[in-house]
Amino acid sequence: MSATFEQIQDAITRTREARERVLQHRTVDAIIGALVQTAKNWLAPDSPWRTRAVELAPEVTGFSPQMVNEAIDLMFSTLTYEALGELLDRELGNRRVLDEFCLRGRSYTRAFGPRLIVHFLAGNVPAPSIVSIACGLLLKSANLVKMSSHDPVFPALFIESLREVDSELADCVALLDWSRDELALTQAALAEAQAVIAYGDDSTISALRQLAPGDAKFLGYGHKVSFAVVAKEAMNEENLPALAEAAAFDASVYDQQGCLSPHVFYVEERGQLGPRKFAEALASAMAAYQERVARGALTLDEAAEVGRLRLGYEFRAQTDRRVAVWASPAPSGASAPPNSWVVIYEDDPSFVPSCLNRVVYVKPTDGFKRVLDAVQRVAAKVSTVGIALMNERAMAFATELAKMGIHRICPVGQMQRPPLSWHHDGRTNLADLVHWVDAG
Amino acid sequence: MNVDALDLQQRVIALIAGSTTETFERLALDLFAFQFEHCAAYRAYCEHQQRTPGTVEDWTQIPATPTGAFKDFALTCFPVEQAVAEFHTSGTTRGQPGKHYFATTELYDAAARVSFREHLLPDGARLPMLALTPSPRDAPHSSLSHMMGVVAGDEAEFFVERDTLLVDRLTQRLCELQWASQPVTLLGTAFAFVNFFDHVAQKNLRFEMPEGSRAMETGGFKGRSREMPKRELYALFEKHLGIPAFRVVNEYGMTELSTQFYDESLLVGRASDIKRVPAWARVQVIDPNTGREAAIGEAGLIRVFDLANVWSMMCVQTEDLGVRHETGFEVRGRAAGAEVRGCSLNAESLSLS
Repeated sequence: MSATFEQIQDAITRTREARERVLQHRTVDAIIGALVQTAKNWLAPDSPWRTRAVELAPEVTGFSPQMVNEAIDLMFSTLTYEALGELLDRELGNRRVLDEFCLRGRSYTRAFGPRLIVHFLAGNVPAPSIVSIACGLLLKSANLVKMSSHDPVFPALFIESLREVDSELADCVALLDWSRDELALTQAALAEAQAVIAYGDDSTISALRQLAPGDAKFLGYGHKVSFAVVAKEAMNEENLPALAEAAAFDASVYDQQGCLSPHVFYVEERGQLGPRKFAEALASAMAAYQERVARGALTLDEAAEVGRLRLGYEFRAQTDRRVAVWASPAPSGASAPPNSWVVIYEDDPSFVPSCLNRVVYVKPTDGFKRVLDAVQRVAAKVSTVGIALMNERAMAFATELAKMGIHRICPVGQMQRPPLSWHHDGRTNLADLVHWVDAG
Repeated sequence: MNVDALDLQQRVIALIAGSTTETFERLALDLFAFQFEHCAAYRAYCEHQQRTPGTVEDWTQIPATPTGAFKDFALTCFPVEQAVAEFHTSGTTRGQPGKHYFATTELYDAAARVSFREHLLPDGARLPMLALTPSPRDAPHSSLSHMMGVVAGDEAEFFVERDTLLVDRLTQRLCELQWASQPVTLLGTAFAFVNFFDHVAQKNLRFEMPEGSRAMETGGFKGRSREMPKRELYALFEKHLGIPAFRVVNEYGMTELSTQFYDESLLVGRASDIKRVPAWARVQVIDPNTGREAAIGEAGLIRVFDLANVWSMMCVQTEDLGVRHETGFEVRGRAAGAEVRGCSLNAESLSLS
């Protein structure tokens, strides 16, 4: 149901009133407490929220029930008292600056969040939506949230679960949805925004940036891809299964829809085990993950694209030794439907974005230097680089990646688990949104 | 060329010509055995699929060659240096073009003539043929131009030169024919027609082509004109040329095949999106989510079994979506690929050059 102009106006008024009434008098610790309790309620055994999400989300998000379960674990396990406190302390120096003037050096200072934050959510993965709303509450802002038609479920259930814990806090958030084409509605929503947080494709972000009031703070998170690198010293017979499992997790979670999902694994040659061995192990790990957490249903177009890619490479692979393909059903005869995962080995260093939905490339490489060359032209679009193993040599490589403008380097297996306090696209999450008042 | 192959070729030509002593089913298996033997890349793929002449029991089990493979391999069952013609795909989206090599165009030409006559000239009319494409001489690697040359025969007139649609010459010719009360057949790509109609609209012209006129349009805009839905385009034939929408027939063909498929509109006397399949071909609609044939009324990827492809690949897996019908199939167009959602990226949006 598309929101009307009146509903948007009303939501702005209501959330701002709720903010005046509630948040101005709530300590940041109390807000953290409510968020943490909400997260605990989701993670509790027999959580009704989990049950409802598993029931409702697959239909709209396209994720399987198991994937919805996995998403709940990934999302809500990060919302702990320690993590939220660390986020605030790291970004603002001390969380209490949101409650009162605090002594900083020789003067007192206090931080204020925006009066109204307007959030534009993307529907591909649920985690950023929840984090975005949580940040708005921590900053004691009123929050007008435009959901994505791809996922109205998670934000709605999150706010409902928050309402159960602290209904006044939940009043500070209004969830609405309207079509992107309704420019007048978007303008109405933005008119009084002091801050805008937007997720989506680059054209959406830049359009919103244009529409946002000139003095509003604007955090835009555009399109990104990720990849991973496996160092030659990282792989031996003993740790290969665990490494492959970690890699398969990164590539399979959220069916590869997120910006943290790796599209390509570059594997260094001349290790104890070769890149092909890695590809093979990755394939079994993808199959095992599929058994536990099935990939969601695909649209006809998506399924056609996965099928096209697989068939094309499979045809080539029979006579071209530079190419190999592993795909479900696995030779072992797993029960998975065709193409629920595809691993393509290709001896060609160029970075190729996957068609998503658990299709991943493994490419041999001559060393880290070659990887830098291969990803040069997409570097500006890279979110995360997973590395196995994080050692001294890898840190030097990380420095080179940082110089190219890549913002996050982490161990393989952790790509989908950024800490709450990570610098999303190289930026702070809270510090960019507050303004400071000094006294004395 | 070996005797068996020439025999196969003669049998397919007989089937195309309407012989009832040959059956598709038997010929398909013989042709599969021949192609398995003579095309190494295809053989390797079939062996990988564990589908060989020894194990394949009916035509539906014959492994399909993806159209993309025509870019990576010369898929022929004869020495490629003996090719008398080669047609190239436009290859606009993914790098190098696909190539289809011909040991002879005899099969292609026979198949093209029969299907065209049946679907465009069911009344046996002999009409001037105005093609909005380059001539086969000007575009020797275009299967479309070759086909136009074959089906239009001696009556053919071509109105594209050096990549330019000769709008004035075409306008002039249509005026003459209209004046002479001579019905006409127009043939061209969707984007050529759109460009022509834009010109006609701009010049405030309106033709009323004599009754019996008809048009063949073949899909794909490829960014060369503004895009529009089929029905909207066909309404423009009526508006600008006076050719009723049901007398405009969509052709579905591709470089990798020798056989074309047409809307049944002129056969049934009303606008229809259903394409019939001739005796020497079969079309399956494969559900990409299951790998199995879609149910009637359901959509999937179009797979073509084309016996006229004796010297290349008889069974081709296209990248086009279609709907299976009782009496044929309907084309929906190129599969769009994964939708970009949220913060991830796919190949299209990363726009790698």
